[in-house]
Amino acid sequence: MSVRTVLKRALALAAGLASALALMPAAQAVPSFARQTGMACEACHTIFPELTSFGRLFKLNGYVIDNLPQVKAVGSDNKESLLLNWLPPISMQFIGSFTKTKGALPDSGTAGGVAQNGSASFPEQASLFYAGRIAPKLGGFVQITYSSQSGKMAWDNTDIRYADQATVLGNSLIYGFTLNNNPTVQDVWNSTPAWTVPFDQRSSLAPVNISTQIESLSGAVAGVSAYTYWRNMVYGEVGVYRSAPSGVSNSSTGGNGPLDSSQGVNVLKNGAPYWRFAIEKQWDRTSLSVGTFGMLTDYHPAGLNAASGPTDRFRDVAFDTQFQYAGDDHLFSLQASYIKENFTLSATAPDDPIDGAGDLKTRRIGVSYYYQRRYGASLGYFSTTGSVNTHRYPGGIAVLGSASNTPDTSAATMELDFIPWQNVKLGLQYTKYYKVRGGTDNYDGAGRNASDNNTLYLFAWFAY
Amino acid sequence: MKQMLRRSALFVGLVALASSLGLAAEDSETAHYANQVCSTCHGVHGNSPSSAFPRLAGQTAPYLETQLRAFKDRSRGDPAAQAYMWGMASQLDEDKIKALAKYYAALPPAHGTAGPAARVAAGRALYEQGLPEEGVPACVACHGPNAEGNELYPRLAGQHAPYLVKQLAYFKALQRSNQPIMQLVGQKLSFEQMEAVAAYAASR
Repeated sequence: MSVRTVLKRALALAAGLASALALMPAAQAVPSFARQTGMACEACHTIFPELTSFGRLFKLNGYVIDNLPQVKAVGSDNKESLLLNWLPPISMQFIGSFTKTKGALPDSGTAGGVAQNGSASFPEQASLFYAGRIAPKLGGFVQITYSSQSGKMAWDNTDIRYADQATVLGNSLIYGFTLNNNPTVQDVWNSTPAWTVPFDQRSSLAPVNISTQIESLSGAVAGVSAYTYWRNMVYGEVGVYRSAPSGVSNSSTGGNGPLDSSQGVNVLKNGAPYWRFAIEKQWDRTSLSVGTFGMLTDYHPAGLNAASGPTDRFRDVAFDTQFQYAGDDHLFSLQASYIKENFTLSATAPDDPIDGAGDLKTRRIGVSYYYQRRYGASLGYFSTTGSVNTHRYPGGIAVLGSASNTPDTSAATMELDFIPWQNVKLGLQYTKYYKVRGGTDNYDGAGRNASDNNTLYLFAWFAY
Repeated sequence: MKQMLRRSALFVGLVALASSLGLAAEDSETAHYANQVCSTCHGVHGNSPSSAFPRLAGQTAPYLETQLRAFKDRSRGDPAAQAYMWGMASQLDEDKIKALAKYYAALPPAHGTAGPAARVAAGRALYEQGLPEEGVPACVACHGPNAEGNELYPRLAGQHAPYLVKQLAYFKALQRSNQPIMQLVGQKLSFEQMEAVAAYAASR
């Protein structure tokens, strides 16, 4: 096996792990906000983490609505110089789960292998939040998460924002800035990657889907963006992200530098521009949004190049829509998205006229219905397709390999939920794979069928 | 003497200007709070787009003050009040309650929305005559001939009909339990009658 091949396989493995991370359960609603505002979860969420119209505005206004007694200070100009909650808006999230795949994963010497099929995680994930106002027009959502897969505490979704309001042409205009660590974590519609519903909870095993870049940057970047929302209808945002991986020691301490690409992290060249535009229309208790978002990322890939070398370039362009009806007894919503990624691998495959470029497309649609916010059912389908690429989807790797060198994966997921209280959710989820990495039978060239990845996932979610 | 008069006039003018500016600043502080906080549910200028939340524009100030106090002291306890307004009103002081009530009372109310003709007609009869044999007083007696409200009795005209139906259902279920007259009314009305009278009031 040549060095190049080994390198390629390592890259494929890294990509697999990245998509596994992307598939890890996302963060949820936080009781911190309920504590700060004195309002029930149902004010901001239909069913967590999906935001209601009020929840969207609460977020865009900087998480600052506050109904707690305050510690206050004013300057000599009589302006508030401190406005702090007497009690900090802190909360906790705990998820326990049980996961079983139809065909057991290989249990020896293989990435993604486990020694037991039907694994319990307790917790699968546990998080601590500080979520709420920091200063009069400044608020934050900060999450630290322990994951049983990594066995570590790690920095999770973070969004710190400043927001204010103005009147323009006789109509309200919200404007603000956000600092965050995951493209779309700042978004308020649940049809973008960071807070996609349904299935905010996903099994963390069988991570066989391949994600686009914009779906895979959680926690590896830091970004700043500016946004406006006019007449509660027209939203626009532009921003830029830089690589900011954690867990790599700093050069000033004598260890490897935080952006040392030999440490297995892709490093963004310069800044990666991000943009988002959307229009929302509300009729009584129904709302519809249509939007587009995207990002341009230019990498020095892990382990291959010095900062001055050529780069792998990815251009993600996406369209999304959300329909939501939030009645007293009936809640219905639909989310759909389409992401198209074009890439050129000038660093990974500099002299390859065939596989040096290509595209990757992901489509996702889901519907969910809840009765009295207590009993719910969701159904979803996703499909990933793209050009054949020997560099990105190599064969010869059990489970995560592709014998046909293609990313094509499709699956349907259904979930039943019981929500005895607004902050407790018990769910039963089943995912059925129609195609994995280009094939139905023996897709990895190591004897695994797509349907072997069918996953049964039971979870219990508590937030308090 | 002339000069003194001129100076006095100037002084009076300046005082008037300053006080009017002061008043404007106070009003705009209330308006800013309403825009930043209340409007998130109750809509810009008190015209909520969703029937989950009542329209506040043109509502009578005494009614608004009473409700805000009832949320604050938790004597109004229907489910929506508990989920939303107990928290929102908890830190309002008496000055802010009065200022907000005054602010919303002064805004132009929404126009009525037409409902199904037969339902509105049935609602009109109920609104104007009540149900004498059941002991239900005519709504018009307190809420006014055009449902415009009167002091402590709220304006119903132009309100979201589903919101009005929900309040009647809360009275009936004794969930909104701080209004004895309306509890009595709620007890006697069927769901169809609630829908009819709400459609009529909302159409005014």
